[in-house]
Amino acid sequence: MRNELRLPAIEVKQSPGKTLYTFAVDGKLVPKFAAISRVRRKDDGGLTGYQRPEVLSHIDEIRNYLESNSPMIPNAVVVAFDSRVKFRPDPKALGSKYARPGILSIPFEEDASDDKKPGFVVDGQQRLAAIREALIEEFPVCVTSFVTDDVSQQTEQFILVNSTKPLPKGLLYELLPGTSARLPSALDRRRLPALLLERMNLDEGSPLQGMIQTATNPRGLIKDNSILRMLEYSLNDGVLYRFSLSEDGPPDVEKMLEVLHAFWTAVKEVFKAAWGLPPKKSRLMHGAGIISMGLLMDAISDRYRDRRYPSAAQFATDLLPLRDVCRWTTGFWDFGPGQQRKWNEVQNTSKDIELLTNYLMVQYKSLVWSRATSIAESPTSKEDKKRKERK
Amino acid sequence: MKFFFPDSQDLIDPSFDFARERRSTTRKRQRDDLYAHEVFASTPFDGFLVSKGIVDGYGALGSRYTLAQRHRLLRLGAPEFFRIDQASRKLSIMGDCGAFTYVKEDEPPYSVEEVLDFYGNCRFDYGLSLDHVILLYKPEADARDASRDLVPEAMRARRELTLRLAKEFLQKHKSGRYSFEPMGVAQGWSPMSYASSVKDLQKMGYRSVALGGMVPLKTPELLSCLQAIHDVAKPGLQLHLLGITRTEHLKEFARLGITSFDSTSPLRQAFKDDKDNYYTPGKNYTALRVPQVEGNPALQRKISSGEVSQDVARKLEKACLEVMRLFDAGQRTVEEALSVLMEYERFYDPGSKKMHEAAYRETLTDAPWRKCPCDVCRELRYHVVLFRGAERNRRRGFHNVWTFHRQLEKQLGLRQGSAA
Repeated sequence: MRNELRLPAIEVKQSPGKTLYTFAVDGKLVPKFAAISRVRRKDDGGLTGYQRPEVLSHIDEIRNYLESNSPMIPNAVVVAFDSRVKFRPDPKALGSKYARPGILSIPFEEDASDDKKPGFVVDGQQRLAAIREALIEEFPVCVTSFVTDDVSQQTEQFILVNSTKPLPKGLLYELLPGTSARLPSALDRRRLPALLLERMNLDEGSPLQGMIQTATNPRGLIKDNSILRMLEYSLNDGVLYRFSLSEDGPPDVEKMLEVLHAFWTAVKEVFKAAWGLPPKKSRLMHGAGIISMGLLMDAISDRYRDRRYPSAAQFATDLLPLRDVCRWTTGFWDFGPGQQRKWNEVQNTSKDIELLTNYLMVQYKSLVWSRATSIAESPTSKEDKKRKERK
Repeated sequence: MKFFFPDSQDLIDPSFDFARERRSTTRKRQRDDLYAHEVFASTPFDGFLVSKGIVDGYGALGSRYTLAQRHRLLRLGAPEFFRIDQASRKLSIMGDCGAFTYVKEDEPPYSVEEVLDFYGNCRFDYGLSLDHVILLYKPEADARDASRDLVPEAMRARRELTLRLAKEFLQKHKSGRYSFEPMGVAQGWSPMSYASSVKDLQKMGYRSVALGGMVPLKTPELLSCLQAIHDVAKPGLQLHLLGITRTEHLKEFARLGITSFDSTSPLRQAFKDDKDNYYTPGKNYTALRVPQVEGNPALQRKISSGEVSQDVARKLEKACLEVMRLFDAGQRTVEEALSVLMEYERFYDPGSKKMHEAAYRETLTDAPWRKCPCDVCRELRYHVVLFRGAERNRRRGFHNVWTFHRQLEKQLGLRQGSAA
């Protein structure tokens, strides 16, 4: 049963001998006329095809987005057609020096095997797979196609579109706070930390104003990733978690910023000498310093559990006894027997971050927490009461 | 006899949607997840066993906790971290060092002070002394004329070290005014050496003793050790059996004076065992394997190299899920479901010698999940016997723990003081 799709299209003459046809079609129809040419070795050892397998997790993310409210996929899928596909210009329509509208006819058979299809998907297989799987009626996509009977031309285009450099993560993070659509999970999770980072970096009166290095603030001293990890830890297991629990409402960003301002103001105050230097000169401004201090913020907040969060003065009171046991800019950390570490040999690795954090916690417990008289045995905290009864 | 459930942060995500295999985007690990005692209306154990090795991670064995989680545990203590107020009975928490994690080292990697500090911070109810496992069983060394060479000096030294550490542990527990109940650990290589360790610990003043290193022992060996210990135990001595895999002899353990034990078997068998994956009071069933195409490395390699078709793989995988849905709705027969499951199995594991067909037929024919009254099976239905991702497998593990605990109560008679 031979069919034909006839679609309005625009022919674009791009360079000598290279002509493109661009058109729109329901993404669910594309597999009817375009196959995916998977890479493999034939029995004689020769290579055939070029596409990798579908990446299910990636497809799932796109599919989630497609099933959200009014999704949009503006970038075109690229298809290579063989010469069975024909373009007929519309003599009555307006064209330009290099472009003219017309009708593209694509022959196809219902349930044809892959080798009978006139087209191959060069770019966009994950998007098309997501459209195929998504529980939606239809989803028109833009397709840019070229006609060639030569497989090597397809392979070349495939390599060209897939050898671009991915965006730097830092730029993506910096763009996050300005978005609200459903994004891939990994980015979605970082949206709130990215927003807090932005505010701490920009807000008038923030102790970290202008100090965090981002794409648009390359002179910042502290790496954005250190701040993001510090925030993520606290949002999950520390003081910031308390303010993410408004009954299914949005998290209380302003309260979070108040805590962060209070704590980092205290750090700036207590560790004046190590503050504001580049990480090369001060380990306080470095990943290990920022993350371990963040965990200390959470510990101090738990010592003052009876209030919503400690004031800058209270944070400073609790940090002060630690000043003499820290070696941010000079000397040796005393991490225990046989564990002498020169100040600048503390690296930004999970092992060193853990070592430094454990040390600071032990010091804090012995110099402050245990000395404080009668910290009441913590009653059930508010956050536990707020935990929904899910049984 | 009390049953302690060893923790390795086994939680389930209640937001997980089994039809679409997705979780909520806002889910926070551990915070929004549920422990077994938060899943069941009646809590299927008497307490947790928390190991320093699991919390800190040791060597190649990474921690099951993030850095921030670990410090939250140390700040607030285990009762709050584990949310034990959500349990239907009063749970106790026992701490140990996880000696099997450092069994290859010459010496334990911790100091007694460190261990006491860890137990204190975690607010455990019981804490085990620092010990070193002896991987050797030589009952012939107990004979009167046995040569000393039967047991290498290094092994004898481990027993001495464990006793020395127990002594130091008890002294520092007292001087540090810790409030948890100290438990001495006994190690040995034979009935006599174990019994002698227990005697020494009693002399030091321990009222509770944990028996370590018995995991690899065969049942008769284990029983002869327990008999020897039983003969020297003072009345009222609390005896904890560490890490028991064979749970069918609990009655005998109780007779020999064991007052508590811990076991990961019910949970682990759900996704580690070749055939005993789903417990029922009568017998154990094999779970139906429907591996995720992306979660199966061997299959992924074949797909990446173009040897097999990804489309075919996914069609077969989907067909298995679909046929199970229809089977549970009564629209497919056992044989129809079985042929779909076997077709996928032949595809992803062509050379398989596992011969699952008969086992699967039994699981499908008996459909044990339909008869199980536990909260997991009520909610999950047939998904509970699908051997697939962590969310299903762990729930099946929870069901096993619940079933096991019920058997335990039946065997030993309902105990006093178990809260409603």
